Amino acid sequence: MSDKDHSSAEDKALVKAAQQGDMLAFEELVGRHRDKIYARAFSMMRNEEEAVDLSQEAWVKGWQRLNQFQGESSFGTWMTRIVINLCLDQLRKQKRQRTESIEAMDQESGGVERQMPVLTVNPTAGLERAELRQRIDKAMAQLSHEHRTVLILHEFEEMEYKQIAKTMNCSIGTVMSRLFYARRKLAALLMDLKKNEQ
Amino acid sequence: MRDKFTGLIVLVALLAAFAAFGQTPAKPDKKIEVQLLWGTDQPKSPNPAHRAVEADIQRRLKNSPYKWSHYFLVTNQTVFVPRGSATNVAISQKCSLEVKDLGKTMLELSFFGQGKKVEKRTQSLPRGEVFIYSGNAPGTNAWLLVLKRLD
Amino acid sequence: MEHDNELKLQAYLDGELPEAEAREVLKWLAHDQEAVLLQAELKNTRQALAGAERLIQLPESREFFWSKIERDISRVERTEPAQSKESFFAPWRRLLVPVSAAAVLGIVILSVLGPMSSSSMAENEVSSEDDTGFVYRDDTTGTTMVWLSYPAENEVANQEPATKL
Repeated sequence: MSDKDHSSAEDKALVKAAQQGDMLAFEELVGRHRDKIYARAFSMMRNEEEAVDLSQEAWVKGWQRLNQFQGESSFGTWMTRIVINLCLDQLRKQKRQRTESIEAMDQESGGVERQMPVLTVNPTAGLERAELRQRIDKAMAQLSHEHRTVLILHEFEEMEYKQIAKTMNCSIGTVMSRLFYARRKLAALLMDLKKNEQ
Repeated sequence: MRDKFTGLIVLVALLAAFAAFGQTPAKPDKKIEVQLLWGTDQPKSPNPAHRAVEADIQRRLKNSPYKWSHYFLVTNQTVFVPRGSATNVAISQKCSLEVKDLGKTMLELSFFGQGKKVEKRTQSLPRGEVFIYSGNAPGTNAWLLVLKRLD
Repeated sequence: MEHDNELKLQAYLDGELPEAEAREVLKWLAHDQEAVLLQAELKNTRQALAGAERLIQLPESREFFWSKIERDISRVERTEPAQSKESFFAPWRRLLVPVSAAAVLGIVILSVLGPMSSSSMAENEVSSEDDTGFVYRDDTTGTTMVWLSYPAENEVANQEPATKL
């Protein structure tokens, strides 16, 4: 496959070529999906350097495991799962090396979201897409890793509870509690951001 | 020369081993108090058998991230953990805690619920410190399992 | 509202409830205003998140990023075949000399100092083999707290404990 063929080829063809050892085909795949994979790593780690390193590691793993990819999902989704697992491993490693902050313990032990009054006003109504993205990103950054991860996996990766539980190595009950807290906390944070703007 | 030196090291090692292992006195069991608490926002516990929580634990809970306004003592027991061995502590009909002595201040804690191991950890528990397992209870309440050394 | 019901409401919104339970929730929503308001809030949050993920770009050029990946792939592929060509005994031979010296030293040290704790961890270090506990440490009061994401059924919270007061 020539360079010109690579740039115009579909992912499926590139994967097939890469599985047969065509490094240039793999390079094209990296070029196409690198932002998406990096963005997922960054959304989970909230650290640029770590996200770059983990996405790089994910691509190397992707190359090594390429023959395991059978096309059951899109290539982008398959690579995203690899980087998610690497990020979760890294977060677990970091968690074992520290005890949590009081805010994180507060979030995990729950109860706060039950004391929050229900919001009857939609804090994101009328916002332009770009503004909405910015506010959500700002609010997500204030959640603990566990709560942000469960939101990412459910809302952005569209995983079911069972799948999230398996990925995060916790019970479905924990997934549900964390998701509930994360949503309520996010709503409250978005409301605060709305009030600050006004 | 080298052979003589090696032989001397082995001899010293053997003598030191006899000295160390032969004269080690038996150490007493670790004595640990295990308290089961109920955390709630209600000023009164629905169970009249519940008692007040001791001042030291109240103080620790007040400064903690736990957000319940009231705590009540459900059960209180003292357990003895033989050195180098494990003791099983029944918490409720379906929950138990295995406490294993790992030497010095170290314990291995295994928390069981419904017959399954929920969590296992290695934990330091020196005298004067407290370790608390906690989790959600029905409603907006919490259960707390407080461990402290008495020896 | 009971927390279990709140989670059920969320599961209904996420399409995670079996049909029979979903019908129960619908009936409940028909006459519980508090539940309706909570559901609306959860739905607003969910809708706000849909497709609202921030678009960010890798802060490195395509060529530079690829060069690092290519280098790592080459390194990994060089290491793997090299290991398989090594003699079976080579690693053992490399280890034998220093290990035997360390063993003698170890025997001497152990014998002089006495039996050591089976744990080599620092006094206040904790480790958990499972991923369930969430640990918080308050150094001022010397209190370690672990939150278990454990179902809130009645096992521990049951007020019929195994031991009596």
